[in-house]
Amino acid sequence: MAGPLGERSGLLGVDVVLASMSSAVVLGVEGHPVRVEVHAGNGLPGFTIVGLPDASCREARDRVRAAILSSGLTWPMERVTVNLAPSDVRKVGAGLDLAIALCVLAASKQVDVEQLARVGAVAELGLDGSLRPVKGLVGLADAVVCTDLIVAERGAEQAAVIRPGSVRAASCLRQVVDGLRGDGPLPPVVEVSEVAVGTGPVFDLADVRGQPMARLALEVAAAGGHHLLMVGSPGSGKTMLASRLVGLLPDLAPDDALLATKIHSVAGLGLPAGGLLRRPPFRAPHHTASSVALIGGGSSAIRPGEISMAHAGVLFLDELGEFPVAVLEALRQPLEDGVVRISRSAASATMPARFQLVAAMNPCPCGEGTTVGSCRCSEAARSRYARRLSAPLLDRFDLRIDVLAPDALLLLTEGKEEPSVEVARRVTEARAVSADRGVRCNAALSSSQIDQFASLDSSARALAERALRAGELSGRGLRRVRAVARTIADLQDARPQIDAQALSLALSLRSKPLLGGIS
Amino acid sequence: MNDETLAALLEIVHLPGLGPARARWLLSEGEPQQVVMALRQRRVPVVAAEAPTGVTRALLEKWFAAIGRGTGRDLLDAHRSAGIMLLGPDDPLWPFTDDPEPPVLLFGLGCPDALAVPHRVAVVGTRRCTSVGRNVAARLGEDLAAAGVCVVSGLALGIDGAAHRGALEAAHPSCRPVAVVGAGLDRIYPPGNRALWAALADDGLILSEAPLGAPPERWRFPARNRLLAGLSSAVVVVESHERGGALLTADEAAERGVVVLAVPGSVRSAASVGSNGLLFDGCPPVRDVDDILAALGLDTSPVPARSGQVSSDWSSEMPRDGEIGRAVLSEAATGPVHVDTLVALSGQSVTSVLGCVRALEDAGRIRLEGGWVHLGGSTR
Repeated sequence: MAGPLGERSGLLGVDVVLASMSSAVVLGVEGHPVRVEVHAGNGLPGFTIVGLPDASCREARDRVRAAILSSGLTWPMERVTVNLAPSDVRKVGAGLDLAIALCVLAASKQVDVEQLARVGAVAELGLDGSLRPVKGLVGLADAVVCTDLIVAERGAEQAAVIRPGSVRAASCLRQVVDGLRGDGPLPPVVEVSEVAVGTGPVFDLADVRGQPMARLALEVAAAGGHHLLMVGSPGSGKTMLASRLVGLLPDLAPDDALLATKIHSVAGLGLPAGGLLRRPPFRAPHHTASSVALIGGGSSAIRPGEISMAHAGVLFLDELGEFPVAVLEALRQPLEDGVVRISRSAASATMPARFQLVAAMNPCPCGEGTTVGSCRCSEAARSRYARRLSAPLLDRFDLRIDVLAPDALLLLTEGKEEPSVEVARRVTEARAVSADRGVRCNAALSSSQIDQFASLDSSARALAERALRAGELSGRGLRRVRAVARTIADLQDARPQIDAQALSLALSLRSKPLLGGIS
Repeated sequence: MNDETLAALLEIVHLPGLGPARARWLLSEGEPQQVVMALRQRRVPVVAAEAPTGVTRALLEKWFAAIGRGTGRDLLDAHRSAGIMLLGPDDPLWPFTDDPEPPVLLFGLGCPDALAVPHRVAVVGTRRCTSVGRNVAARLGEDLAAAGVCVVSGLALGIDGAAHRGALEAAHPSCRPVAVVGAGLDRIYPPGNRALWAALADDGLILSEAPLGAPPERWRFPARNRLLAGLSSAVVVVESHERGGALLTADEAAERGVVVLAVPGSVRSAASVGSNGLLFDGCPPVRDVDDILAALGLDTSPVPARSGQVSSDWSSEMPRDGEIGRAVLSEAATGPVHVDTLVALSGQSVTSVLGCVRALEDAGRIRLEGGWVHLGGSTR
């Protein structure tokens, strides 16, 4: 064969071109740096990708070739080998497309190899050479080792959030190549736009009529980060109440915001304008959700589940009694540890899953259990329903209340109930008090911290003793009640000791719920 | 009754498809041994009385085939080794002396002395009861036992079980609860009442007319209900739906001239439609145990007062926040009431209402479950 190939197949052995650049793939919720190396040399023309690519990654071969050709560039008539290092990490997704294309071009001397040293690339290629965004861009952008990162225009602000000033957004492969060749300007740097936070919660507590007990429980849950279980008939407003919890929570702390943004980016969830998630997320998976959908996992790539998507926010499980028992039991470990460790034969990942659990369920299968005489369930069906919640899971709920549908008259009154803004202000103050103790919220107080910060005065001690003796509380239960009592005291006046009033309120908010119904 | 007679009787009650009516028919003209002998010789042992419905040639053939095995002795040994008492009509404790449809043989587990108590009252009701009904049944069971009346019931879920539990709670030294079940005594039914079954076998008496191994077939329960009526000098229906076993028991009691009483329930409660119907038909209402004792012609004073009992005089041990406390107690008196309702009624803050509820709970007057305030102690 004549032409360029002939020129390079000399005996000197120095004309083999090796190009490499930085990119990244997603593992769990974090990005993992990947070095893309391309070797173009003698041999039968061909294109192979090595380094543990999965199916979606191997398909890059066809996308890259088509994109290079449609961009008016030349496909090298050589043996092209792409290596994705490190070779022991499974590469999933199309995010390496752009890096592979640029390396191929460099290896075939259409782009200067030196130019690739300082840039990284994370984008999927279309057959026409356009750049497309990939899932998990926030984590990926964090992982790529380079000075300038080239990403697709759409969603570029997500990457800019995590590495401001060094992200360039391009619309097509040709634009990138021209920039690197010096034929045109480099793709523009993405500016981080400061978007005003706190446009106000969409769901306001002012819409909730009456239901003083549920309101109290919601406020305590927001202030202390305690898990909340609501039991009540259909239409009693459980979902309405739960959706208002997020509005009471303070903005995310910067590190939480970044982590939550990363997870949402990996999960392909919409991110707000400006790219950074600042409000606590609210996730409400349907009760038919599988264990993998809720906890995370998957066969090829380990994807975050709903509990990770709810990290630093609220996970709302409506119709808790309808969730498969195995799924509910799988929640126990993440509830305890705040992270979930997923191990599969191909890979394993640890993903953050520190969420506040809010659950709602009917008192019995027919849902009418709170109206005397209207329940249509048999005794056996009712006790079976009540048994669906194991004692250890029930124990995780610091607040358990029955929700009563508000009275008909109350629904029609025009009076204004206390809006979320007011409650949120008290919640923020209470959270500030608990932050002084060195914890995020009182639900996170350890046993020794509870002894230190939630000591009982004499009247509270007597009350606790009676509750313990009556078998109403276990030792573990008492610690949780003290944490809730601490939150109640913080909401009131942040008095240093827990008195009988706070403790009795905490006990009332944690009584055995009406599972199985009144009738 | 000697062992031969018992063995023959056992062989007869073990015949397939044999209920109390057919057993009585078989035994109407001869001693058990003669009946067994006749069946062995493939003869119908009854000549005068007309056969009950359903006794066909095919059934007789089945009996002829079953009786030939001569296993009466083994059955007797099996029952004795399982600790099952066999109670025949000649036993001094036999309770069915005047009954129109007595069982031919009774199987018992527990203390037979339970039958020595002169007055027995059946407390029966629906399995699908309300918590109010459950509380009332438990309370009546406890108070009746405390007054020296033997509480009889069917060991079913719901009202029956609650009545037994109440009677066991009273722990009267001589007056123990009696349960009559439909299946054989080795078949614990319903399985949900396993613990209660064990408690009754220890501290009471479980009776059945079904032999060991008899499954809980549907037809056995109406037959069991007639035994409940036959055992008792009064039947109290606590809660019953429009149709149900408790009403059958009431019918059986009426046939035997046993007084039937009913606990009034809310007209809005489906679980009280049947029992309220009994009241409409003229049954005396039961407001508390005294009404039952009066119907039996007994002294109505001996029930000792218990802790946690709600007296009409609340002022004596009002904890604090008297006003709210009074409202809480009077509202809860008619059934469980939600804290939200109490807040709306009292106009007080939710925290002060909850504080007051807690104080009352601490004093054992009420209990809070979820958001619901129930009257009475801590057992549900």
